[in-house]
Amino acid sequence: MKALQLIKYGPIEDSLTINTVDIPTVQPQDLLIEVKTAAINPIDKSIIAGNLQAFIPLPFPTGISYDVSGIVKEVGNEVSDFEIGDLVYARVPQEQMGTIAEFVAVTSTAVSKKPGNISFSEAASIPLAGLTAMQSLEAVGIKANDKVLIHAGSGGVGSFAIQYAKNKGAFVYTTTSTSNIEWVKALGTDRVIDYKTEDYKAIVKDADIVFDTLGQNYTAEAFEVTKKGGKIVSIAGPLDEASAAMFGMNEYKLPEELTALSNKTGVLYKYIFMHPNGEHLNRIKTLIEDEKIKPIIDKEYSFSESIEAFKHLASGRAKGKIVINIKQ
Amino acid sequence: MENFIEKLKGVITLSAEAEAYLYSISEEKSIPKGVTLIREGQTVKKIYFVHEGCMRSFCTDKNGKEHTLQFAIKNWWISDYIAIHNHEKATLSIETLSASAIIEFKAKELIGIHSEFPEFEAYQRNNLERHIVSLHKRILNQLQLTAEERYDLFLEQYPNIEQSARNYHIASYLGITQQSLSRIRVEKAKK
Repeated sequence: MKALQLIKYGPIEDSLTINTVDIPTVQPQDLLIEVKTAAINPIDKSIIAGNLQAFIPLPFPTGISYDVSGIVKEVGNEVSDFEIGDLVYARVPQEQMGTIAEFVAVTSTAVSKKPGNISFSEAASIPLAGLTAMQSLEAVGIKANDKVLIHAGSGGVGSFAIQYAKNKGAFVYTTTSTSNIEWVKALGTDRVIDYKTEDYKAIVKDADIVFDTLGQNYTAEAFEVTKKGGKIVSIAGPLDEASAAMFGMNEYKLPEELTALSNKTGVLYKYIFMHPNGEHLNRIKTLIEDEKIKPIIDKEYSFSESIEAFKHLASGRAKGKIVINIKQ
Repeated sequence: MENFIEKLKGVITLSAEAEAYLYSISEEKSIPKGVTLIREGQTVKKIYFVHEGCMRSFCTDKNGKEHTLQFAIKNWWISDYIAIHNHEKATLSIETLSASAIIEFKAKELIGIHSEFPEFEAYQRNNLERHIVSLHKRILNQLQLTAEERYDLFLEQYPNIEQSARNYHIASYLGITQQSLSRIRVEKAKK
């Protein structure tokens, strides 16, 4: 089969190539999925650049990307809840990374039937970003009437998080640039903040939850806009002790600045690693089928244009998700 | 099955042999909600009669979106007749939308029953004609009625179906978007 492979760390055009490789072997817990569409995410860009090699050591060559939608072609002999012919979507586990390929083997617990009312391309755009947003907001117990600030509302995670939070009945603030205001507002956002012309810290006060998707200064600043007893959930700031322990860093301590801010303000800081979960994707399936959440696709590329797709991702200008149609 | 046989006796004169044959080619089943009985691409060997519950048949287009062809509620038949008659693999999937009590018939034997028992000839022809009328009405309604009118007819045809069918099932049956279906419902509620 054909597969996009990462052959070394470095610039996108030097590191990725389409190779002919063996179809993955199906383990007893796996499904073999014929890939219809894959989607790419900012983490792929970091992996290609080699920025994550300390956490995710990779043997070269290796497949790339995590999001997939397609059709089940083979079912491992320990799998009981899927059949050949099922239409599915998944964020594949790290060790099975490589969805920009004609086939991918995926442990069945990471897989869900795809929503019936959307296309393969729309379905592929959901898993990683959707699971990240849902697991982050649920980790801090989002509920009706919470005031929630979601940074970068036009991103894959942000656009999903806005819709998820609105469905929970929260009051949602989001930050975005001028050109994205209208469509981000149409997702249901109560107050869109144009970060180019407005200071979000002057607008958001006493938030119950800040979803920090940006890191850098935004992580510390989140303490300024969160109420006492509120929570900051981050996917881009420093690790917290619990998430560091997942990598065996048992001596790790949260940076002193954040510990001091947390003690001073009474605001909890939590870091979330998204994890593949078919049951969570099944819950998202229902939300999509009921149109509580709509996929947002920026652009669809063909398999042969995969490298162009990654360059577009690297530009940081995507409004929603970038998907790769493997059948074109 | 007894209910089915009793209803049938109201329409045709059923011999003891024919009744025994019907039992031999059928099986009563209770199927939970959300079970796929026929899957696109598979060989179709069964025809279902719905005694209680709700089922639907749908196809999936090349982009992966589902389109509902038919709902089947109490006393309706459902299968993939294209596959059965053309001896092809299924182009439709059939699933239960609620817990359903059904009678599952062997397709080949049920379709050919009139050659063994001629009393079924008129009954089957009548069923077929009613089915053709229903399909013609569906096509004409699609061509000439507004979405609101089609929705009204749908509710007449399938009373209480909204307890079982999801919005996207109904929208795809009517050939409209889910937003349009929501708008129509809101407008109806205002009347």
